[in-house]
Amino acid sequence: MIDVVFIGLSFLAISGAIAMIVYANPMYSALGVLISMLSVAGMFALLNATFLFMVQIIVYAGAIMTLILFILMFLNIKEEDLPKEPKKFQLIAIGAVVMIPLNVLILEAVSKLPAKDLSVIDSDFGDIKPLGKVLYNDWILAFELISILLLVALIGSVVLAKKRKSRIKDEIDPQTVPTSSQTNKGEQL
Amino acid sequence: MISLSSYAFVSMILFSIGVIGVIARRNIFVIYMSIEMMLNGVNLFLATFARYHFNMDPQVVTVIVISIAAAEAAIFLSAIILLYRSKKSLDTDIFTSLSQGEKS
Repeated sequence: MIDVVFIGLSFLAISGAIAMIVYANPMYSALGVLISMLSVAGMFALLNATFLFMVQIIVYAGAIMTLILFILMFLNIKEEDLPKEPKKFQLIAIGAVVMIPLNVLILEAVSKLPAKDLSVIDSDFGDIKPLGKVLYNDWILAFELISILLLVALIGSVVLAKKRKSRIKDEIDPQTVPTSSQTNKGEQL
Repeated sequence: MISLSSYAFVSMILFSIGVIGVIARRNIFVIYMSIEMMLNGVNLFLATFARYHFNMDPQVVTVIVISIAAAEAAIFLSAIILLYRSKKSLDTDIFTSLSQGEKS
């Protein structure tokens, strides 16, 4: 039964990833990534990582992919704005040829390891309480650095996305009246 | 029984598709999603070995990787908005010249 679930999840994960690199429209690619991430969340559940299962659904599928879809609709990309990719499938084939030896190497190395039972067990392994104990005892420095990184990302994204178009616009056509850049601010993105 | 190799196979396939996406595509959104896909493959590998060794440390590393990905998403998407405003395109070849006044 669990085998069937695993096969279904891996099929969905890989086909979502393939849909991501094949479709030209980024909206379809984002939906493929969403399917793939939800399947990986299901695999975390099969691996007894219940907290990671929730974090993957909430952060990846809930926050990051929603942000990407929101930005995609916000930019309102038309069909002719998409980059032309005439050599896409040749490049995909070249990339596959480059990546196959690495895959074979990793799979050979992993198959040499002694086999263990990876089935779902009834214990608190992967629960939020033991994970929090390890996180706040052994990985406290990494945790503090992550908090600083998130603060920097928050400030940095606000600074990057701030409106400063008016200065660039004045450089392009200097004959525009300075008050027009003020009135244009509302209707810009 | 699901073996270690099958999880390793799925995670390596996801990582390889991420690398291929970064190599082959020119749409900047797809490149961003390929980077996320690579991180996802690595996360699956780490969670597999956490279960294999019955150790919590890889899962903690996975949580840290997910939070780094969340921070990266904010910065990367605001950078995409800036690039799209100045160049009106999503093509990475156009982004090679980053001067402000030049049109396309």
